[in-house]
Amino acid sequence: MLKYLHIYKTSIKQERDTIIDTLLRAVSFFIIIYIFVQLWSFIYGESGTSSVINGYSLEQMIWYLIITELIVTCARNRLIITSIGNEIKSGGIAYKLNRPYNFYLYNITTFMGKSTWMLMFMFPIGLVMGLCFVGIVPTFTWYQILPNILSLILSFLLVWAMFAIVGLLSFWIEDASPFSWILQKFLMLFGLFFPVEFFPAWLQPVIEYSPIYSVFSGPAKLVANFSWELFLKVFVSQSVWCVILILIGIGVYNLGKRRVNVNGG
Amino acid sequence: MVVKNNFKLIFSYLKLNLKKEYEYKTSFFLKIVMMILNNAFFILQWIIVFSIVDSIGGYGFNEVLLLWAISAGSYGVAHLFFNSAFSVGELIYNGKLDVYLTQPKNLLINVCCSSCSVSAIGDIIYAFVVLIIINATWWWYLAMIPVIIIGALVFVSIVLIFQSICFYVKNGSAIADMISSAITMFDNYPPVIFKGFAKVLLYTIIPAGFMVFIPAEAIFLGFNPWAIAILIAVTALLVVLAFVTFKLGLKRYSSGSLMGSRL
Repeated sequence: MLKYLHIYKTSIKQERDTIIDTLLRAVSFFIIIYIFVQLWSFIYGESGTSSVINGYSLEQMIWYLIITELIVTCARNRLIITSIGNEIKSGGIAYKLNRPYNFYLYNITTFMGKSTWMLMFMFPIGLVMGLCFVGIVPTFTWYQILPNILSLILSFLLVWAMFAIVGLLSFWIEDASPFSWILQKFLMLFGLFFPVEFFPAWLQPVIEYSPIYSVFSGPAKLVANFSWELFLKVFVSQSVWCVILILIGIGVYNLGKRRVNVNGG
Repeated sequence: MVVKNNFKLIFSYLKLNLKKEYEYKTSFFLKIVMMILNNAFFILQWIIVFSIVDSIGGYGFNEVLLLWAISAGSYGVAHLFFNSAFSVGELIYNGKLDVYLTQPKNLLINVCCSSCSVSAIGDIIYAFVVLIIINATWWWYLAMIPVIIIGALVFVSIVLIFQSICFYVKNGSAIADMISSAITMFDNYPPVIFKGFAKVLLYTIIPAGFMVFIPAEAIFLGFNPWAIAILIAVTALLVVLAFVTFKLGLKRYSSGSLMGSRL
């Protein structure tokens, strides 16, 4: 495991060179949150006297969106697919096959580093924007900080595991990015934009048992409306999906690497 | 004659680029279909929003989808015809303009048209699919064609102006990318939700207002000839500005002495 820790540290060091890129991403993150705040403030204003929609006050809704957007911005999911896809398409993977690490786990660890770097910038921005636009979450308590951090870490791990599997599809198809577009939209619609309570009753259990809930709705709801009961539910769901997806990823990688033809030269 | 030749060049490039992409037939069609599906997901987003409220500042479900149609169509035309405009900065920074400089065609058009994005076809198709969904009248289909062309020109011009920063600073293309993604973020939401400084931005450095909001309000949802005239004038101004900034920046370009060929 020590080698993966070194890969993680190296990845963070490499990211230091991308400071301008990171700052520009921070501007994009600011713009997205700003749009969400404007949109939902308008919706809560237009919806009449009701200050709570589907169990969420405006403050809770904005914090929910800040957390989901923080996850999607920092997880760099698109980059995982292009990075793995390019290694496979270019044949660069041949140089990594004989190294003493698992290519799939290597990629996940690398992106852990990239995301840690991004979080150092995006988290303060999200925090300040949330406090400035809507103030502190009404239900906030100090003892929820540790469970929130734990669920966020597991959420990132799930995004990497999920998108790395899509990236590995490049072993079989020319370009896996169209699949990533669809996966991304599923995640956005059923997790990023709306909490699970905004969907019809028959759909809610389907979402709650899917990894989408573990990636977005669960951890974001834990910030917006914390309870130990909810934490237990989210933690179990995240842990189970992490194990399932990582095992699938390792399996897909083992199947895919058999398709690599290495020609000398 | 010059204009005719440039149009010929643009369409010749499109034909060649499409032929090249069509080499991978499965990938070609998959990208188009997936892009239509990808865009269609946002319809569900607005169905959920409009199950909470009837309208957002006078914008109902159909009006918001119209914004999406103009936005997707403009984005599609921009990336189908002028895809390389979005990576000009990279060519400048890496000193890869040499190969274009030696060719007897307008440099900027030559560079911008040198690649196309197949998924952009999906965006254009989606614009018209949306018109079917919202049960648009016949003339909306006809009006959509010039509207998305103008939208694409505004989009490409502003991106090029920012890409030209690469002649002066290292990270110019990152700024251009940020502006490009900011435009696509803003232009899908009802303009009434933006106030004050945000509104100023939408009609200046992030011109989503000219790309989507003015065409929607002055052509489809109402008729305002003055707004249309301003839109045409601003588009022409932005195109000229894109050429001028690129030409000015080009004086600072120094070759990377990189051997290259275009096959």
